[in-house]
Amino acid sequence: MAPSWEQVVRDHSARVYRLAYRLSGNAQDAEDLTQETFVRVFRSLADFSPGTFEGWLHRITTNLFLDMVRRRQRIRFDALPEDTERLPGTAPSPEQVYADTHLDPQIQAALDALSPEFRVAVVLCDIEGLTYEEISATLGIKLGTVRSRIHRGRVQLRQALAHLAPRAPVIS
Amino acid sequence: MSITESHLAQEAIAALVDGELTAGPANRAARHLGGCMQCRLAVEAQREAKEALHDSADVAVPGDLMSRLCAIPFTTDVPGSGGGTGIMTAGPGELTVTGASGAWSVDLKPRLRETSDHTARWLRRGLAGTLVGLGVGVTALALNLPGAAPVPQRESPVAGPSSPEEHTEVVPPVVRTLTVGTNTVLSQPGGTP
Repeated sequence: MAPSWEQVVRDHSARVYRLAYRLSGNAQDAEDLTQETFVRVFRSLADFSPGTFEGWLHRITTNLFLDMVRRRQRIRFDALPEDTERLPGTAPSPEQVYADTHLDPQIQAALDALSPEFRVAVVLCDIEGLTYEEISATLGIKLGTVRSRIHRGRVQLRQALAHLAPRAPVIS
Repeated sequence: MSITESHLAQEAIAALVDGELTAGPANRAARHLGGCMQCRLAVEAQREAKEALHDSADVAVPGDLMSRLCAIPFTTDVPGSGGGTGIMTAGPGELTVTGASGAWSVDLKPRLRETSDHTARWLRRGLAGTLVGLGVGVTALALNLPGAAPVPQRESPVAGPSSPEEHTEVVPPVVRTLTVGTNTVLSQPGGTP
């Protein structure tokens, strides 16, 4: 019995979509990133070099995400006054975010506040469960850089969470 | 004692939380943490951030995205393969595409449910076919009955593949006449005790 394209999609789309959602923080971008990832997979199956299929998907998704962020930063820099697209009023409600992602909206908001490079490292480590070595290979950065991005990303994440939702007082 | 003199490096703190330190450094870190509140708090902060993310459940892929993904072979041009996308076949655990530029394949995780999935689908299809056949039979039977009352007419949409419009058009008037009828019938004995 042959794994068809449909089977490939069924087996891997949930992981790709989750990663795309955690990185981009909204359903529209997550859908676009997932679609583009699978288009790339389909187009470049021929260029696929040995390694795990999952690792390949992680690499394509994260690279597409970082490209998207850089492209938008350039556009925003060029057209700062007119840029109203990202105002808080147009953001989905916390209820909608939770219904879509099953992630506490405050945590997703704290993730969104991280710089993209830190966010990618933290998400790959803490949500996708990749080892430092796998993250280093996925992003093409050194192990030391992986470590420091994860550390600094988590420090920022926790600061943002402490600000958004004060935790129960520390038991003395 | 010199163990509290130099604190753990930030990178070591993250690596410790993720179990990415080798035995030697991990032991040294543990010894240091025993005597250093500041580093213990830093480790705890890392762990809390990690756990906050760890609880996130799976995200459901929207249905329309799923169908767009499945349609990619029919909506996407593959550059360099001159038109067609080639024939996609696969052996166990790999996907092979044979096109103008040659054959290529990709390893996939082995799937054991493959055959049972397939038979289940066929079984379901067969069952559905039988049910549809039965439904058509029941409808045909009902239509052939001489002087068939509204009763079989109302039941046929449930059993057979009749259109739902027929169902909604038939039922409301029937219900309405019934209620009017019972109302008048009830009011007469009620009015004369």
